[in-house]
Amino acid sequence: MTTRISLFALLLTAASTLLPFSARALEVPKGDVILTVTGRLDHPNADGKAQFDLPMLEALAGRSGEMETPWTEGRLTFSGPLLRSVLAAAGAHGTKVKLTALNDYSAELPMEDVTDLDTMLATRMNGAVMSVRDKGPLFLIYPFDEKPELMNEKYFSRSVWQIRDIEVTE
Amino acid sequence: MIDLDPGSGDIMQRASKATVVLQIFAVLLLVTLVILFIDISRKYSALQDGIRENALWSVYQLDREARRLHETLYVMIVEKDFSAARVKALSTRYDILYSRMSILDKASFDQKFRANATIGGLLTGIRQGVLDREEVFNALAAGRPVSPAVLEDVVRSFDLLIKDTEQLLLYSNTTVSTGRADARDEVLWLQAKSAGLVILLVCCMVFLVVTLRRQLKTVRLAGLSLERATSRLKDAYLDAEAGNRAKSQFMATMGHEIRTPLNAILGTAELLQLSPLPPTVASGVQTIRRSGESLLELINEILDFAKIEHGTLTIEERAVDVAAVVVATVDILRDRVTEHSNRFVLEMPSALPAAVIATDPTRLRQILLNLLSNAIKFTSEGVVTLRVIPAVLAGQPALRFEINDTGIGIDQTGLERLFRPFSQVDASISRNYGGTGLGLTICKQIVEAMNGTIGVESRKGEGSTFWFEIPAPAAGPALIDAQALARDTHESLPSLRILLVEDNAVNQQVAAGFLAHLGQTVVIASNGLEAVERAGAEPFDLILMDMQMPRLDGIEATRRIRGSDGPCSQTPIIAMTANASDDDRLSCQQAGMTGFQSKPVTMRQLRLVIAAVDLPEDTQAPTAAPVCADDAFELRRTEIVDALGAEAFDELLDSFFDDASSLLADLHVTLATEGSRDADRLLHTLKGAASSMGLQKVADHSENLRQGTLSKTLLNELEMTVAGYRRHIAA
Repeated sequence: MTTRISLFALLLTAASTLLPFSARALEVPKGDVILTVTGRLDHPNADGKAQFDLPMLEALAGRSGEMETPWTEGRLTFSGPLLRSVLAAAGAHGTKVKLTALNDYSAELPMEDVTDLDTMLATRMNGAVMSVRDKGPLFLIYPFDEKPELMNEKYFSRSVWQIRDIEVTE
Repeated sequence: MIDLDPGSGDIMQRASKATVVLQIFAVLLLVTLVILFIDISRKYSALQDGIRENALWSVYQLDREARRLHETLYVMIVEKDFSAARVKALSTRYDILYSRMSILDKASFDQKFRANATIGGLLTGIRQGVLDREEVFNALAAGRPVSPAVLEDVVRSFDLLIKDTEQLLLYSNTTVSTGRADARDEVLWLQAKSAGLVILLVCCMVFLVVTLRRQLKTVRLAGLSLERATSRLKDAYLDAEAGNRAKSQFMATMGHEIRTPLNAILGTAELLQLSPLPPTVASGVQTIRRSGESLLELINEILDFAKIEHGTLTIEERAVDVAAVVVATVDILRDRVTEHSNRFVLEMPSALPAAVIATDPTRLRQILLNLLSNAIKFTSEGVVTLRVIPAVLAGQPALRFEINDTGIGIDQTGLERLFRPFSQVDASISRNYGGTGLGLTICKQIVEAMNGTIGVESRKGEGSTFWFEIPAPAAGPALIDAQALARDTHESLPSLRILLVEDNAVNQQVAAGFLAHLGQTVVIASNGLEAVERAGAEPFDLILMDMQMPRLDGIEATRRIRGSDGPCSQTPIIAMTANASDDDRLSCQQAGMTGFQSKPVTMRQLRLVIAAVDLPEDTQAPTAAPVCADDAFELRRTEIVDALGAEAFDELLDSFFDDASSLLADLHVTLATEGSRDADRLLHTLKGAASSMGLQKVADHSENLRQGTLSKTLLNELEMTVAGYRRHIAA
């Protein structure tokens, strides 16, 4: 009995440590807003929306991966927060995620792409922040390095760059 | 002549050709398959090579962004609104256009797209147009003031840029469409090629099936023709075999037929020699006897050869005292050695490894006699040596016999022809020395049948050495015991003079043979009168009397002998009869007979009778236990073969069947004339002879006919029984 109770307590502690944002409300961005998340959100920080600046995004759990893409030359290292940690920070719920770029290009992806794949919102290319001229500020990168089978038109069309808005829908 | 169907060779050749074609096609098929596979995989990898950006889409985006930038700037100038928000929006539009520019520069498109010179030229112009205004937009982004005149200048230059991007879009659309059409054509061509290959593949398959079918048909045809040839060969073989058998049969019959009168001639000559003759006649009789003997030897050789050819040569195994056989054989030839002024030397170790070996004594004697006679025949005033040497053959103990002479010798060509049937060293040999030329062939066959080897070394004018080696395993104790026992019982028997009274020839020979084998002296009387005559003339120790005989039967003959004052009036007389009734016994006793013996007589019974001669009174031997009909023949056969040899048995059997057919013919005659007394006698004779040979069914049948009334049907049945036995034995 005692063992089981203490194990449960340990799990609780671990959960609260690992997921700091889920417990707290989202802070208000201090710098330029580069991403706005809309939809049914648990933690909006501005007018029912969740807005992020670069430091806020880079503080989230992310990944880094070296890969080739059809739009760049040679192998490049992309790094940035995972899309699911961004959505978790906003407390977004839904089944579909619609990404919209600065030039109004948009693509819709199923929530599975977010939960099952380590899809990241790359903020940096080879360590440098990406400018709009160079597909910045945010570039949705599928884990092409981990799963080469993703290298096809279906995922290429979902790989939106110059991301401005994310809308989570039911 | 036997040969295959004339067409079958052709068919085979065609089939093998078809096989070659088939193989080539199989290889072709394989190559085709490989080509198809490579094509498919190439096509597949072309499909797989999808890490490409859609060029047309990028060009469209470029054109769109250029127009939006142009529009934003134009609206700003027209509305003269240079607020920070408007400027920022304008700056973003430029950044986006710039990024679309670099996508076109860096992204991986279809190779053909960038290689196109027109597209390259347009792209360069557009890039220049965008980069030329970078300074202005950098300044705007940094918040530095830019004069409206400069912006108007930018709008004007972008008017041209838009035209360029539109041009690029239209041209790209055309190019991509063309490329798509080309790719479709290529795919179509690839499809056509694949279809061609598939058709070829199908052709290969069809050809394969057709060829296979044809080949199967050919194989079946060849099989059929082989089968036909085989059956024809079989027929031919059977024909040849039948012919050969008929020949062997004929030779055996002829041999038998010749030997009978020859034996009579020889016997008579021998008898003549015993009587005093004038010298001229004596030498004539001697010549008759010599010639008769060599004729008999020749016939025996031919018969042996016939037997060998017929495959009926049998080798038996007995415990044999080799030294005794060798000495006995040499003794037979002593006279002939001296006739040719030769000297004979026997070299045999005083102690052989096994004194008693298991082998066939008759055959061993035959080989030795043959080789020694040859040596003596071809040598004069020389030395003939027989060496007996212990040897080893195939790891087993063996004996080597060497017959060496200092005679005429044989040259190389002669040596090659030796051991072949009907061949002598040369034609003059048969003129000068006689002989059939079969002797060595027979020796070779016998030695080989004994698992031995035979050979010769010779040099013309210097003499020859014939040798043979036969396995000589020490005789097992069982074999020796059995023979020792047989010998002991012989040896303990008294040697008597016996008068055998028997009318039937077969029975005569069998009984006489048994008695001779038991070491007895036999005189034969063929009927009662003759018996009385003989018994009155000389003394006998024992008389064996048949009961039913023509002219004077056993009872009457016994009465007369007993009633005479002759030397045999007190001699024991044993009745031999197949009639075992009490009445018969009584009449035998009343006639003065000492004992009673049921027929057919066996060696064991005879031995007991002889052994009991000295004992007073009842010498009646126990009657043999009845045996079943089929066993009877085999038992009888073994007994007779043991005592007289297989050949004698065959001869006896032959004469039985001869007698039986004449008896049956007589029976038919008596049936027609209704002489029942004659019929009974004939049946009795047949019965006696049949039981003597162990043909129990014939004997029983005859006895049954005697009891009942004789009819043609019953007689025919008896004939069938005899014929049945004849067939059975011949098989």
